[in-house]
Amino acid sequence: MENVTAVLSGEEPGGTGEAEASGGWLWLRAFAANRLAVAGLVVVVVLTLFSFLGPLLYHTDQIHTRIGMETLPPGPGHPLGTDDVGYDQLGRLMVGGQTTLEVAFGAAAVAVLVGVAWGAVAGYVGGLIDGLMMRIVDALLAIPALLLLLYLATVFRPDVLMLIIVVGLTAWLVPARLVRAEALTLRSREYVLAAKTMGVRTPTVIVRHIVANSIGTILVNATFQVADAILVVAALSFLGLGIAPPATNWGAMLSNGLNYTYSGYWWLTYPPGVAIVVTVVAFNLIGDGLRDAFGLDTRRQ
Amino acid sequence: MIRFLVRRCAQALLVLLLVTIIVFGLSRLLPGGPARAILGVHATPTNIAAFNRENGLNGPLPAQYWHWLSGVLTGNLGFSYVLNQPVSSLLAQRLPKTAFLAGISVVLAVLIAVPVGLYQAVRRGRADDYAVTTVTFVLYSTPAFWVALLLIDILSVRLHVFPAEAPQGSFSTIFSDPSAMVLPVLTITLVTIAAFSRYIRSSVLDELAQDYVRMARSKGTSQPGILLRHVLRNALSPVVTLLGLSLPFILSGTLITEYVFNYPGVGLLAFNAATSQDYPVLLGVVLVVGVATVAGSLLADIAYALLDPRVQLASDAGAGR
Amino acid sequence: MSAPGTPVLQVTDLEVDIKLRRSVVHAVQGVTLKVGEGETVGIVGESGCGKSTLGLALAGLLPSNTAVRGSIRLADREVAGLRERELRRVRGTEVGIVFQDPMTSLNPTQRIGVQVGETLRVQSGASKAEARAAAADMLNLVGLPRPLEQLDRFPHELSGGMRQRVVIAAALVCHPRLLIADEPTTALDVTTQAQILELFGHLRETLGMATLLITHDMGVVAGHADRVFVMYAGREAETGDTAEIFDAPRHRYTAALLDSVLRLETPHKSELATIPGRPPDLTVSTAGCPFVPRCPAASGQCSTELPAISGEGDHHWRCFHPADQAEDNLSAAEAPR
Repeated sequence: MENVTAVLSGEEPGGTGEAEASGGWLWLRAFAANRLAVAGLVVVVVLTLFSFLGPLLYHTDQIHTRIGMETLPPGPGHPLGTDDVGYDQLGRLMVGGQTTLEVAFGAAAVAVLVGVAWGAVAGYVGGLIDGLMMRIVDALLAIPALLLLLYLATVFRPDVLMLIIVVGLTAWLVPARLVRAEALTLRSREYVLAAKTMGVRTPTVIVRHIVANSIGTILVNATFQVADAILVVAALSFLGLGIAPPATNWGAMLSNGLNYTYSGYWWLTYPPGVAIVVTVVAFNLIGDGLRDAFGLDTRRQ
Repeated sequence: MIRFLVRRCAQALLVLLLVTIIVFGLSRLLPGGPARAILGVHATPTNIAAFNRENGLNGPLPAQYWHWLSGVLTGNLGFSYVLNQPVSSLLAQRLPKTAFLAGISVVLAVLIAVPVGLYQAVRRGRADDYAVTTVTFVLYSTPAFWVALLLIDILSVRLHVFPAEAPQGSFSTIFSDPSAMVLPVLTITLVTIAAFSRYIRSSVLDELAQDYVRMARSKGTSQPGILLRHVLRNALSPVVTLLGLSLPFILSGTLITEYVFNYPGVGLLAFNAATSQDYPVLLGVVLVVGVATVAGSLLADIAYALLDPRVQLASDAGAGR
Repeated sequence: MSAPGTPVLQVTDLEVDIKLRRSVVHAVQGVTLKVGEGETVGIVGESGCGKSTLGLALAGLLPSNTAVRGSIRLADREVAGLRERELRRVRGTEVGIVFQDPMTSLNPTQRIGVQVGETLRVQSGASKAEARAAAADMLNLVGLPRPLEQLDRFPHELSGGMRQRVVIAAALVCHPRLLIADEPTTALDVTTQAQILELFGHLRETLGMATLLITHDMGVVAGHADRVFVMYAGREAETGDTAEIFDAPRHRYTAALLDSVLRLETPHKSELATIPGRPPDLTVSTAGCPFVPRCPAASGQCSTELPAISGEGDHHWRCFHPADQAEDNLSAAEAPR
């Protein structure tokens, strides 16, 4: 059946010509058709390979500082120059990328796992328990993440793992809200009611029906979580609360380099800065593309 | 309408209570207990015992919580041994400054972002729409501190238009040298616009696609008339909610901005407290900011209800939550 | 004022193309139709046959990715190809349009009175009070109880049927000569449907406007239209007086449509008659009659040549092998497959 209004608003006609993929993977095809989203994906893959495989091809010493080799401009032997303690900047960019991406993915994973569990249970169970669980989310949301992180990072001097946990723990609130909204809608669907009547146990119902059918929303949010985590870790590093050297991440490299703005050492700021912006843009493009592919309302809260 | 207000306020109170519990919980996370953390490494057991006694840190947790909460409700937010002042007076000095900075920036951001969003939606798909989207996208993906420092670099150092440091001291200093406020406000405004403009644009686009817009067109209403009389009001209500929800994000950005520009607000206070391990102050800031955000969200919800008549009816009928 | 006898609406060879990203939809392909003063013409067809596009074209509400060719004369004035500024003056004053879903046709945050009076304020610069008074009159005319109270209510406070009445009132407040109703009853339950259709009849008597009733439901057309225009794949299939079309449909598609309507006389255990196949893809232009793939009487000629309009008197059709009365009675008596 052709929806003329849809046609008039510029969407393609359903028509007789298109072969329909099975509903489950329709989103993948829609995503693949979105050039910006695919470009974002490519960028992410390239940067991941750059960070993790790069050092295998391009060996530099990222542990020992070298006096007398500081702040060399890009040139032979150092394509991006050296930083203020003598590390090769290109190699540092790779190592920094590893940490940045590890923490971002890790924090996003923590946020999504905790948030989805919390939200699905709250939405499915409903009633007073839902009310309480969501008020807790509201309370945690009321405290700016950076402030909370400021406190946690001061109390628990973080290493990579702690950073992942701590950042994830401030980020799980949004997926919780989103999944709870989905759960509220889904729990009155007939297949859920059928499962309940058949005696399927609640955890199974939650996972197999509620979560499985919210996978689109979850995936979209997970992508944005990664993007946000990168920015949050950068801000933390800027405030001096990141990981101690010789470990580094792009945010730390950027803020370190910003100390030398007036000396004109552009290779200290722009490579990590551009890396951050490009990666965050890429993840946001992927997230937007996924959202369009799944047909999710942008105003859904 | 009354029922809705009452319910919302009750919810907000519960959330406030939970915020206090969270802050209390945070204070108990300190390794070695609050006493050791606050008094420092060299505190003797006698000092610690005295401190515990004074601050009601003996006894079961609920009692401790109640002791602390009753202190808070009477205005006692603890004492900073680092700065040698009660936390409450520090907050009283700094909070208005942050409110001022954030307030101006948000108002400015909304005043700019809404017309820009309208413009984008109307010019959807054309070059200027894409241009604006690209700019805000990139801005949104840039760390706020870099934005701040780039602004300083361009507008302060190279072009010498604005000073790089925010005004210190009281409000009179601010008003006598407004140009020093420009860069900090600009930073937060830009970051906020970048976060909002996508939502405003898509909200307006959603409204433009609605049938009632087509209906209005069929009556001969002009495009500007449609935008002003129909679209704007309906597109704004989700934005109001969004504002309420974004307060924490905006305050995070304010923290960074205060740090970069050395602005004597609550964010910089928190940062200094963190580096000097002045936990009472840090926790005091967390508490007050949390409370302020809950209040702000409540106001935003009330504004939303005023804007959208459907909400009032639904609540009066007692439907759902 | 135009001379008496001039049709309110005269459409000649109208073509509408909708430009999509990678294709063009030929939504309307050469439609000629006429609506006289005070006449109700029903435009009938399946979803996707172009009837809604036709309606939008006549109201001047097509989006910018469309191309229009041909002539639309509204009250003896050419409106196809008018610029937006002039079109705006035509809308609401010469032609009013009612859409399918009354809930979404009304702005949820604006009061009813304001929305009904909007056309007056926009077109003739009426004051708020004048518009409000006219709105109250109109609400009364469309049968809304206690119209003065309703003025200050919001759309969600009304039932579906009442909302549709409000939409009709808003469309007619400037007394346009033509009302286009695009599936006005599809979103309503059967009882309300009947009421709304009666309302159209009542309004026609009171206001004397002509109505274009666009629908996929033959039943709607049967009791309420003077003439019927059957549309298929963007083209005219058949036109004529309602009674004649129902008694003696000539185009195979019309005949099939009427066959598929459930009647009281339908034998108890017979299968429902359906039209096999699907409507054609309007992005592909075909030579010949578009109904060929689904037509029981199609021949070679039908695939290669588009039938010209043939007919007697006011009854026209585009078919090389029109159904005739004898055949019809025969097929009704046989048990359908």
